[in-house]
Amino acid sequence: MDSKRLQRSPSAGEFRIRQSSFALFRTTTFRLALAQAGLVLAFVAALLLSIYFTTVGQLEAESDAAADGEFASLERVYSEGGMRELNQQATIRAAREGAMLYVLAESSGAVIAGDFQQLPSQPRDSAERVDFRFERPNDEGRVVRGRARGRLGRLLGGPILLVARDMSDDEAITDRITRALWTVAVLGLLLSVASGLIASWFASRRVETIASAALDVMAGDLARRAPVRSDGDEFDGLAEAFNAMLDRIEQLIQATRSAGDAIAHDLRSPLTRFRQRLETALEAPPDVDADREALRKAAEEADRLLEMFAGVLRLARVEASGNWTLQRIDATAILRDLAEFYEPAAEERGLGYRSSIEDGLALSGEAGLFAQAASNLIENAMKYTPSGGCIEVRAWLRPDGRMEFSVLDDGPGIAPGERDRVLERFVRLESARTSPGAGLGLSLVAAVARLHRGGLHLRDGLAIGERHGLGAALVLPAEARH
Amino acid sequence: MRVLIVEDDADVAATLKASLTADEHEVDLAIDGELGENMALNGAYDVIVLDRMLPKKLGVSVVRDLRQQGVSTPVLILSALHDEDHRVEGLNAGANDYLGKPFSTRELLARVRALWHGRGREPLTRLQVGDLEMDLLARIVKRGGKKLDLQPREFRLLEYLMRHAGQTVTRKMLLENVWDYHFDPQTNVIDVHISRLRAKIDRDFSQSLLHTVRGSGYRLEV
Repeated sequence: MDSKRLQRSPSAGEFRIRQSSFALFRTTTFRLALAQAGLVLAFVAALLLSIYFTTVGQLEAESDAAADGEFASLERVYSEGGMRELNQQATIRAAREGAMLYVLAESSGAVIAGDFQQLPSQPRDSAERVDFRFERPNDEGRVVRGRARGRLGRLLGGPILLVARDMSDDEAITDRITRALWTVAVLGLLLSVASGLIASWFASRRVETIASAALDVMAGDLARRAPVRSDGDEFDGLAEAFNAMLDRIEQLIQATRSAGDAIAHDLRSPLTRFRQRLETALEAPPDVDADREALRKAAEEADRLLEMFAGVLRLARVEASGNWTLQRIDATAILRDLAEFYEPAAEERGLGYRSSIEDGLALSGEAGLFAQAASNLIENAMKYTPSGGCIEVRAWLRPDGRMEFSVLDDGPGIAPGERDRVLERFVRLESARTSPGAGLGLSLVAAVARLHRGGLHLRDGLAIGERHGLGAALVLPAEARH
Repeated sequence: MRVLIVEDDADVAATLKASLTADEHEVDLAIDGELGENMALNGAYDVIVLDRMLPKKLGVSVVRDLRQQGVSTPVLILSALHDEDHRVEGLNAGANDYLGKPFSTRELLARVRALWHGRGREPLTRLQVGDLEMDLLARIVKRGGKKLDLQPREFRLLEYLMRHAGQTVTRKMLLENVWDYHFDPQTNVIDVHISRLRAKIDRDFSQSLLHTVRGSGYRLEV
């Protein structure tokens, strides 16, 4: 399987995909598997060495003990019976079937009797251990090669005696053990390399599905997500976090896009009016009063545009959250001031106005933004409730420990299906297009609510017969009362 | 009066100068923070209008250093950054007022005048405009000797207007100084408050004191 890798080409800052058939060997998983294989191999080698020395070493020690015993026994024969007796015994024992080999030689080194025609090495004065390879004809006349270990030494008075044990049978056992150990070592190595390859193949395949999702998103497919399997392993964790990030990015992009569209839409008409007004004034014959009126209207139009920009900037700043310091604020005082602030204006518009703000409401927040959010809700109700209607402003501590500030009206309300939509930036329902406002009010409230870890909820407001007005509720985590 | 404008944007500076000159002020211009500070130290100005983002030295640092050197000339900071934090930073540095860009010329003129009038005033216990009297300690308002019944907020609104008697006070100034709100209401709330106050102080009297200045705000004067 080929591996797709992300590579940033240094010259053109663009991403492309590089195909590589050796990519698997560069994966982290494979390297880890390889390192592990090395460790396993070292462990196996140590184990095998210890097995080798305990088995093969044991065989040699036993054969050495046997050879030493035989040497000592012949030494006794010589000291008791002299050279003749030794010669006889050596010849008899050499002729016997068995693994023991004997050579008796004169002090000059010339062989007198025994299994070999010559000594494997020149003896020293004291008896010593010898280990040698030999060739000799067997009983059927065939030459056999072998290895023997034993004792070679000069006896008192000069004769040289070699007693050795033919190790050929042991050698075969040793060979079998060695072969078995090598087989195990090689198999172990192969298995760990194979398991490393398989593990890294699986791992890199999972990583690649995520990487390819990222590439697709970069290529413009914003809806693409990394697949998540159900077994909930670490790759699923990664894929889920990655997908959550993509969700957020997509949301932000959508918001920016629709904000851009809405700005373009909402700015186009006032800008066009602005331009037309100036143009008409310029084309008309000079007339101070008319010109001044045109200028005044143009200034109003410009104010509306500026207000809209200020709203967008403010909203962006609230949404960027980071820069705000939240501290304990006295919500009761702020809300009572606001309720009092708007009461005359509501009465002036012929609206019934009731407010009930509980004592001791406090929250961790930013006083200016909180006041602005609350005032947006009140103004919104005032704007959309026709004269003769009624507005109710309430604030209380809910049993769930959150405080709710709600403004209910008996105006035209918003159909339940459209309530979510009006929280988006710039959305003003078609029915509201004629009244002033940038359509940012409720989205600013929603953003302030998010900043305070709360929410803005739109519900049914006050009932008039079958119909309901709008109820807008700002629900925020409250702080304990003093 | 003499006004120093410290502003690096030539267009904005020229517009400001033209408006202030038209309002019968004597105007000097400085195009960066260091120059502005030197001119403020050496010239006898009544009000300084200071941009926040200035080359060489930022507006906030200029105010802080002027105050440290004992210059108490009222300072109005102009800034495109007019969020709560920035405003508080500017006022803490020693500025007397803070106005966000974009602003209307009338707003600026009203504030410059208010700064000049408010300068070096002794703490007052009594205010008087015509036959309208306010006792700040007893919190009593009388007109023509007759006691008027005002709500606490109406009292503060009237107090602000009386302190700036004879000057135009904008809606934004009222919103900031009487209610401490730094957002623009979309409704005519301020006008309604003013008309209620007017009903209390002017209705039963032949001479009205609280005047509407069209397109700008209000003015309390005989």
